[in-house]
Amino acid sequence: MSEKVILEIKHYSKSYKGDVKAVDDVSLSVQSGDIYGFIGHNGAGKSTTIRAIVGVLDFTEGEILIDGHSVKDEPMECKKVTAYIPDNPDLYENMTGIQYLNFIADVFNIDVKTREARIKKYADLFELTSALGDLISSYSHGMKQKVAIISALIHEPKLLVLDEPFVGLDPKATFKLKEIMHELCSKGTAVFFSTHVLDVAEKLCNKVAIIKQGRIVQTGTMEEITKGHSLEETFLEAEE
Amino acid sequence: MREGKVLMRALRLSTSQLNIFRYTSDKKKKRRIIGNVIGLLILFAMLMAFCISMSIGYGKIGLSYAIPVLSALLISGMAFVLTLFKTNGYLFAFREYDMLISLPFKARTVAGCKFLSMYIDSMPWFMSISLAMMIGYGVYESVAIWVYPLWIVLSMVLPVIPMLIASFIGFIIARISAGFKKTNIVQVILTIIFILFMFSLRFIIDDLIRNDKVEATLYKASQITDDVAGYYLPAKWFVNAVRDGSLLSIILLALVSVVLFILLFSIVGHSYIRINSALKSHASSRKYKMTSQKSRSVISTIAFKEYRRMIGSPNYLINAGMGIILSLVVSLIFLILGMDWVIDKVMKGAPLDAASLTPAIPFIVFLFTGMIATTAWTPSLEGKNVWIIRSLPLEMKKVYQGKMLFNFLLFAPATALSIILICISARASILDSVLYVILGIALVAYSTCWGCVCGIRHMTLDWENDVDVIKKGTATLIYMLPNMIVVMGLIVLSVFLGMRMSHVLLSLILIVIALLLALLSYVRVMKLAKKEGTGNG
Repeated sequence: MSEKVILEIKHYSKSYKGDVKAVDDVSLSVQSGDIYGFIGHNGAGKSTTIRAIVGVLDFTEGEILIDGHSVKDEPMECKKVTAYIPDNPDLYENMTGIQYLNFIADVFNIDVKTREARIKKYADLFELTSALGDLISSYSHGMKQKVAIISALIHEPKLLVLDEPFVGLDPKATFKLKEIMHELCSKGTAVFFSTHVLDVAEKLCNKVAIIKQGRIVQTGTMEEITKGHSLEETFLEAEE
Repeated sequence: MREGKVLMRALRLSTSQLNIFRYTSDKKKKRRIIGNVIGLLILFAMLMAFCISMSIGYGKIGLSYAIPVLSALLISGMAFVLTLFKTNGYLFAFREYDMLISLPFKARTVAGCKFLSMYIDSMPWFMSISLAMMIGYGVYESVAIWVYPLWIVLSMVLPVIPMLIASFIGFIIARISAGFKKTNIVQVILTIIFILFMFSLRFIIDDLIRNDKVEATLYKASQITDDVAGYYLPAKWFVNAVRDGSLLSIILLALVSVVLFILLFSIVGHSYIRINSALKSHASSRKYKMTSQKSRSVISTIAFKEYRRMIGSPNYLINAGMGIILSLVVSLIFLILGMDWVIDKVMKGAPLDAASLTPAIPFIVFLFTGMIATTAWTPSLEGKNVWIIRSLPLEMKKVYQGKMLFNFLLFAPATALSIILICISARASILDSVLYVILGIALVAYSTCWGCVCGIRHMTLDWENDVDVIKKGTATLIYMLPNMIVVMGLIVLSVFLGMRMSHVLLSLILIVIALLLALLSYVRVMKLAKKEGTGNG
C-alpha cells in the first residue's frame, strides 16, 4: 500500500453567523488506502468539515488539500478525484435511477463500455438493477442511498467522502458497502467517513479522529486511539 | 462547454413532466400531470386571448405600428418580474446545491445553467405574448413574410437581458444578505424595498413622460410605450428589427444578451459558493431553556405551523407579504396624497372622480391582497414532509381548515385596514365604508377557499425547491392569472355600475355574490378533503 497523502486538512476552522465556531483548528491527514472514521456526537462539526472537504461549504481559515490540490484555489482538480455521498442525498427525483447514473458518468466523461460495466457491477451487488428504470422519487431512502453510492463509485475516485453512509441501508447493503470500501482501499483509494455506529467504525477503520465541539480531541490509528479498550469506551471517555 | 451541456440536459430532464409521465407507474400522478398541462394550456390560451384583444384594440384605433413596442415591453416586464421573484431558490439556495457543487462543475457553469433552465421554463409565457402580438401586428400592418420568423427568434432573445438584470439584482440582494446573521429577513426586506422602489419608479417615469401633454388617453398610452422603449434599448432594438429589418439592431440585441450573460455569470461564479454557504447555513444559539408551553386547537396549530413555515422561507414570505405591503402602501398614498391625485396619475386625465371610483375600493385593495392565496401552494408545500400530517390522526378537512384560517388571518386585516384608509381618503360615507370592508373581507374569504381548491386539485409534492410550487406551481398560476384579469374587470364593472345604481345596493349584491362563491369553494374544499380522508389513503 502506498503512503501518498490524499486528503490533508490544515488548521481548518469554520464560523457560522453569530461567530460561533462550528469547527476550530482541525488538522488531519488521510493517506491512500486509509479507511478513516470521523466520529463525534450530533452537532460536533462532522458535516461542516465534510462539506468543506467536498467544496460545498465556503471557509476562510485553514487549508484543505486533495491529492495535493487546494480545495479553495483548484476546486475542479479536487472534485475530479473525489466522490461524495451525503447523509441524505438530494438526487434528481424526477429522473430514473439509470438516467441519474448516466448523468454522473457524463460529468466524469466515462466511456459507455466502462460505465455500463460499473453500473451493472454495483447495481447487481446492491440488488438495484431491476429498479433502475423507475423514477428516483419512487425509491425508498435506502434505494436512494444505493444510487448515490453507485454514482460515487462510477469514476473510481481517489478519495471517497461519506457522511453517515450506513443510515438507511439494509444489513446486506451495509455489508456490501463495507466490502466495497475494503476493495477500494486495496486499490489505493482513501475513504473518509463520518459515523455514529462505533462498532462498525472499530471493525472497518484503520484510522480515526474524534471531534468534540468543533475540535479534534483524539486522532491516530485505531490501536493508538483505543489502547486496548473498545472504541465505544474511548469515545465516551473523550466526550466527558 | 461539454460540462454545461451535460448539466443542462440533466436539469431539463429533472424538471420534465414528460419524463415523469413516461416513467411513473402511478396512474394518479399521470392524471395529475395531464390536468396540470391542460390547466397551463388554458392559461396560455387566456394570455394569448388577452394579448390578441389588446393588439386588436391597438389596430382598431390605428395604433398597430405600436404593437411591437407593446410586445417588447410586456415580454421584458414579465421576464424581469418573474425572474426577480424566482432568483432565490432557483439560482441560490436550491435543494440540489450540495450534489451539484460537489461534482466537477465550475460554480459559474452551475449558476449559468440554472439561469438557462429558468429561461426555458418561462419561454411559453413569453411566446404566448409574442405570438399573439405578432398575429395582431401581421394582420393590421400586412407585414412582409420575413418579419414572422424574425419576430419569433428575437422574442426568444428579448427576455434574456431583463432576466439577467433581475438575476443581478437578486445576486446583489443575496450577497448583502449573506453577510448578516438573519439572512432570510435581510433578504426579504431588501427584496421588498427594491420592489417598492420599482413600483414608485413607474410613477416617476410617467411623470417625466407626461410633460408632452398629449390629449387622448389611448394615444397617450401608445406614446408612453414608445417613449419607454426609447429609454429601454433592447425594446428599441426589437422594434427597429421587426419594423425596419435593421441588421444592426438584431446584432446589438443578440450580442449584448450574450456578453451580459457571460459577464454576469463570471461575476456570480466568484462568490457563488460563499453566498450559498451563507444562505444555506443557519447558526443555532442553543440557549433555549424549557419554559411553560401552550396548547392550541388542531386548526389553530396547523395555522401556526403555516406561519412558522412562512417566516422560514424568503420565497414564501416575499410572495405572501408583497400583496399586503403593496395594498398598505397604495392606501397610504391615497390617504396622504389624496384620491384625486392618484386618479390623475393612474388614469392620465380620463374623466373620473373620487365619488365614481369608490365602489371599486374593495377590488382595488383585493387586486393586491387577493393577488395570491397561500392556500394555493400550502398543500403542495408539505412536500416530503407530508408524512408528518398523514401519519397523524388528523382529518384532512381540519388540515385544510387550518391552512385556510392562516391565509384568512394574514390577508383579512390588511384588506380591511387598506379599505378603511382609502375610504377616508375618498370621504366615503360610514355605511359605504362598512359595506366595502365587509365586501373586502368576503373577497378574502373567497380567495382563501378558491385558492385551496386550486391547491388541492393541483397538488405536487415532489418538487425540487419551494419556488417550484410557490411561484411556478400550476395551482398558483391557475389561481393567480384568471383572478387578476377578473378583478381588473370587476374594478371597471363596479365603477360602471356605481354610476347607474345605489352604491349601498351594489355593495350588498357584491357581498352576497362573494360570500356565495366563498361558500361554494369551501364546500368544494371539504369534498376534496373528504376524498383524501385522514390522508392515509
